[in-house]
Amino acid sequence: MNSSGVVFNIQRFSIHDGPGIRSTVFLKGCSMRCFWCHNPEGRHFQPELRYFPGRCIACGACVEACPNHAHELREGVHTFFREYCLVSGECVQTCYPGALELNGRQMSVDEVLEEVLRDRPFYESSHGGVTLSGGEPALAGVFAREILERCHAGGIHTAIETCGDSPWHSLEALLPWTDLVIMDIKLISPEKHLRATGRPNDRILANARNLAQTDKPLLFRTPIVPTVNDDPEEFIRIASFLKSLIDTRASGNNQESDAGGIAFELLPFHRLASDKYASLGMEYSAASLDPPTKSTMCALAEIATTLGVTTRIR
Amino acid sequence: MESALPLQGIPRSPSSLSGWTYQERIDRLRTTKMRHTEEKWQVIGSMDMDDHAIILPPADSRQIVQVTSGSGFTMTDVLLKEFIPTSNHPSGGFFGAKACGENFRTLLAMHPTYVDPVSSLAGGYMVNFISYRNPAWNPDFDFSHLHEDHQKYRLHHGIGAVQHFCQDMTIGLELGWGGILEKIRRFRGINTDGEAQELYDGLEAMVLGIQDWIERHVDAAQDAAAVESDPHLRQNLNEMADINRRLVTDPPRTFREACQWMLWYQIIGKMYNMGGALGRVDQFLYPYYERDRREGVLTDEEAIFHLACHFLMDTSYTQLGGPDETGRDRTNELSYLMLEAAHRLKIPVNVGVSVGRAIDPGLVRRGVEIMFSDKTGIPKFLGVDSTSEGFARNGYPIELGRQRAYSGCHWCAIPGREYTVNDCVKVNLAAVFDVALREMISDTTIRPGTAELSVRFERHLRRSIDIVRESLDFHIDHMYRVFPELHLDLLCHGPIERGRDASHGGVEFYNLCVDAAGLATVADSFAALEQRVEQEKRLGWDTLLGYLDGDWTGPDGERTRMMMKNIPRYGSGGSRADAYGVEIARMFTRLVKEKPTPKGFQLIPGIFSWAANILMGRDVGPTPNGRHSHAPISHGPNPDPGFRKDAAPTAMAVAVAAVQPGYGNTAPLQLELDPGISRDAEGRAKIVDLIRTHFELGGTQINLNIVDRETILKAHEDPAKYPDLVVRVTGFSAYFASLSPEMRQMVVDRIVAEE
Ligand code: SF4
Repeated sequence: MNSSGVVFNIQRFSIHDGPGIRSTVFLKGCSMRCFWCHNPEGRHFQPELRYFPGRCIACGACVEACPNHAHELREGVHTFFREYCLVSGECVQTCYPGALELNGRQMSVDEVLEEVLRDRPFYESSHGGVTLSGGEPALAGVFAREILERCHAGGIHTAIETCGDSPWHSLEALLPWTDLVIMDIKLISPEKHLRATGRPNDRILANARNLAQTDKPLLFRTPIVPTVNDDPEEFIRIASFLKSLIDTRASGNNQESDAGGIAFELLPFHRLASDKYASLGMEYSAASLDPPTKSTMCALAEIATTLGVTTRIR
Repeated sequence: MESALPLQGIPRSPSSLSGWTYQERIDRLRTTKMRHTEEKWQVIGSMDMDDHAIILPPADSRQIVQVTSGSGFTMTDVLLKEFIPTSNHPSGGFFGAKACGENFRTLLAMHPTYVDPVSSLAGGYMVNFISYRNPAWNPDFDFSHLHEDHQKYRLHHGIGAVQHFCQDMTIGLELGWGGILEKIRRFRGINTDGEAQELYDGLEAMVLGIQDWIERHVDAAQDAAAVESDPHLRQNLNEMADINRRLVTDPPRTFREACQWMLWYQIIGKMYNMGGALGRVDQFLYPYYERDRREGVLTDEEAIFHLACHFLMDTSYTQLGGPDETGRDRTNELSYLMLEAAHRLKIPVNVGVSVGRAIDPGLVRRGVEIMFSDKTGIPKFLGVDSTSEGFARNGYPIELGRQRAYSGCHWCAIPGREYTVNDCVKVNLAAVFDVALREMISDTTIRPGTAELSVRFERHLRRSIDIVRESLDFHIDHMYRVFPELHLDLLCHGPIERGRDASHGGVEFYNLCVDAAGLATVADSFAALEQRVEQEKRLGWDTLLGYLDGDWTGPDGERTRMMMKNIPRYGSGGSRADAYGVEIARMFTRLVKEKPTPKGFQLIPGIFSWAANILMGRDVGPTPNGRHSHAPISHGPNPDPGFRKDAAPTAMAVAVAAVQPGYGNTAPLQLELDPGISRDAEGRAKIVDLIRTHFELGGTQINLNIVDRETILKAHEDPAKYPDLVVRVTGFSAYFASLSPEMRQMVVDRIVAEE
């Protein structure tokens, strides 16, 4: 039981992705293309090259190293031609200043466990644990399942962060070893969802309903993105959907914790990801969006409360 | 008399016409302190050390000089130009108890008084007596035989170290100055040998000087009262006069009097040799607090105010909470009130909160709350279980370990019973490493390699610690005849009774502190050599030496430097550098504990550079971890900034816990956290868990800064715009604007690299 998968980051002392002090393992690959995505490194399933021009000292080592001539040095200036890059990683080995980085590397479950277990004492004292994020963990198949299973068996609290856009059976397969499911609900209107994320949302909403019928603690999150879902009309739909999930669960069992173990959070959009897009050579379509104001966030939270959904702003 | 405020016409807020609230008084005193601090910036420039709450002497009596501080730092200082010490030696210096005591008495006689009508306590200090010591060392006691090795290893060897241990304040609080004088005179009749008589001469001169200085404050307070128009301030001034009239001879009776007594003792210590160990104030003041509360003559607000008045004039190190001898928690109401006083002041005070299995968890929670709301790096956190259990490993009962009180930058001492030279002796690991590396490469009879290097490093490390042993014996042989610990002797168990200075057999325990510095620099250097030179064979040893000699210049210099720097570093977790870090820390600990000094004094290892990592870096050329010549060496036991992309505090906490020497002295973890981490109670609880877990893993102390990146960058650009930004530099906190550009850069690098 030691499969492998592509991981683009393991962040220790992660404190916004579930209870306590956690390590978040970011898996590569997601089906959605939300234009404001805060983690574009997680989009593609395969590793890619990141280039940070600010760190380049124009030494030319990458020019020598690249088997496919993706790097050029002209008059002391380095240029990277992404279209020629086959992601051999040879240049990264020679780029000591760290201007070139591989985004994502193949890791075995053992390797992941070795890294996340370093903070085990902190998980224990803070009731924290390990969160699988992405990308989309439900699309990482057996790799994700094995990480969760091994952590769970070792008594470590586990959480997954999912966009919900996967076949139900893929998500369901993770649940026996998952203590908390964190899921994004971005939009309810189908056309708007398709436009903003590149994917329809019927499967996502169905998965959310299915989850509500389990007894798993659930944390739903809505990123509040101006022009996408910060208008009361759309937000009322989101909050009402949440309310229906809470009601579903209430009728199904008699959980005692808040809203039957279903919590709701709002996350304000921010522009901190713009450097990530640049380093990946991706276009950042949200560059001109302003983060929502505090008063917008509060007004939306107020709406949710009125509809009977307790909300927290992150 | 120097007065803090014009005595008349103080502008008031309307609500205080019928008197002052305590908060108004605190605010007023804080403004005065800011004014003093700004004046210091203008006159002294930067101060890379504690804000000792020193006040400048009146403008017309100032003389500006360059001196070496008690911690070995060169600094600009301001002297009272009227005072010229009397020399008793052809070198022009003054040495020995009698000369020191008498000169100090003369200085006190000239020292201006300081009474602020808004404060509840009188007194403030304006000069450092040690700055008048020229030469500071008596040339008759020659240690030139040690010079070569001191130079070779760049040792901070401890000869001439002052203070850095802790008095037992209860002795003074019980006896008062009159009682102390009587005690000296009684034992003068018992111990009639020359050394004792000389010591008594010095001690007596000091006490007489103190009494006289206090008496002058009585007059000053009375004079001020006579012209004070505000009836409340007048009453306050009269109270100060009354209290101090008694305190010239008698021990304190009330909480306010005890605070006043403590302040006299502390500022005299600052003035004499920059001493500043407060120890467990919440314990020794508790009986006064309790009695006054019981009798209804003190409110908590008033107690906070008196403590704040103390902190304004003395920022010394104090421990809050913690176990008694039996391990039972002694956290009490005063522990919380002291924390509250620091919180209201928002100035650099050095309070440490005890954290331990049996300790009230409310205290650390409150500490973290204040930490995030004030963002002044206050309080710091003390792992009392690991330090007391570690101390027991030196062969002492654990009960004794629990008595050790936090009373200095990174250190503890048993109040009144232990001589320690804490924080004064530093082994610069980077300098030792450099000697070993160069020796190996120049040896043509062997094949260089990290195994060979490690053997040579150990040999030189052992040698450097042996030199420290010899130096400390030399120090203890002679220090009492150079500059004895008169001030601390007064409140220790033994010096007066035996007629021996604390540095010369006066106290019961001698546990001399030896710290290593530059751990990450050396661990990363070893790992870089192993990976790049040995395994990957990217360059040869000689080529490497060429780069070091040229400080990474030449066509491929910068790239090679980056190559050496860019390896999995100490702190990243599971790396070779992490393994080297542990190995070097264990080696250092083993070598320090191998044997006592030739004269039988025990050593205790720690890992701490203090802010001297900048100074120590200036002594060391480039190192194989990609460090430039003269750049600072790594700070304390911390990984270097940039050690991990996520800069995870847990990764740091694991690394630093793994390198603890474990004998009761500390290797403090320095953490910088973004304020965004804990906007709510849940976030703060995670920080509390982080702190507790580090201590459970064996950690000993945590210095924490909550600073946001933007503020610190803006303040770095124009410090004067952020006059009251307080940061925790290392074991001490300071005004950011008070620091030298170099020291500010170090703080900024830590914060920004960790983003
Ligand atoms: S190897 Fe790195 S630093 Fe050198 S030219 Fe290429 S990108 Fe720039």
